[in-house]
Amino acid sequence: MTENKKLNKKIIGGIVALVALIAIFVGLFIAFRPKPAEGSKAITIVVVNDAKESNTYEVKTDAEYLKQAMEEAEGLTFECDGTGMLMTVNGVTADWNVNQSYWALYVNDDYGQFGISEQPIYDGEAFRIEYTVSEF
Amino acid sequence: MKNSGKLKTTTLDIALIGMMVAVIEVCKVALMGLPNIELTTFWIIMFTLFFGRKIIFVIPVFILIEGCIFGMQIWWVMYLYAWPLLAMIAWIFRKQESVWFWSILSAIFGLFFGFLCAIPYVVIGAVDGGLVSGLYAGFTWWIAGIPYDLLHCVGNFVLMLVLHYPIKGAMKKVNRLLKG
Repeated sequence: MTENKKLNKKIIGGIVALVALIAIFVGLFIAFRPKPAEGSKAITIVVVNDAKESNTYEVKTDAEYLKQAMEEAEGLTFECDGTGMLMTVNGVTADWNVNQSYWALYVNDDYGQFGISEQPIYDGEAFRIEYTVSEF
Repeated sequence: MKNSGKLKTTTLDIALIGMMVAVIEVCKVALMGLPNIELTTFWIIMFTLFFGRKIIFVIPVFILIEGCIFGMQIWWVMYLYAWPLLAMIAWIFRKQESVWFWSILSAIFGLFFGFLCAIPYVVIGAVDGGLVSGLYAGFTWWIAGIPYDLLHCVGNFVLMLVLHYPIKGAMKKVNRLLKG
């Protein structure tokens, strides 16, 4: 009987030690686990409105396309029409039908070839979204 | 648990060693789809307990076969010391009979497996950027793998708890047959 008690004590001691070790490991993992890194791409988005005032947004993102990065930019608001064309940025609406205005997208100072949904982004790129009135 | 305690190798021993390696390898391949759930720990402990020093031949053959099948990558270097260490520990505690003891030992080995495997990363990091850099590399590698070590720990514990008695009974029968 005493032998059994001793054995039981040893077993319980072993299990307690194992649980303690597991707890230590979990604690170490919580304390030192790899934290989700900030976005791996750093880009700049400059918005130039109808009064030629500009606002700059520095964004760190993992997004593949500009639209998602714009959604992540703090303080930047925008709306697109049904076709995905940029209509309103920071409360300023460009409407071709009213005054032949539109939002022009520049990528590293070159005129962009894609809409914001299709515009790929790479680390270090600078985008400018500028309120433009067509001269035609 | 008895074992021969002799290093003298007979034809029967060679066949037995081959069987042991085959059992470990088959179980390993069968459970490959499950993350860190393995029977290698279980078999190395049981074979050490029942066949004693014959395990000295089993582990190198097993490691060599693993290297031949899957390629001798960095994990293979870890095998070179992790499994012999387990056999050595099992040999030291060979007089223990309690299934709980072996379950807890298996669990602890599973829990520390990642820690053991971090050693090559310490060495590689130290060679590249000094000791601090090596320790940091090993530490971060070990910490990132702790969830898998926990799985390993639980898996080893449960498998030893469930399989210890039936396999022990079977091995006793095998031992009796071998001794004629």
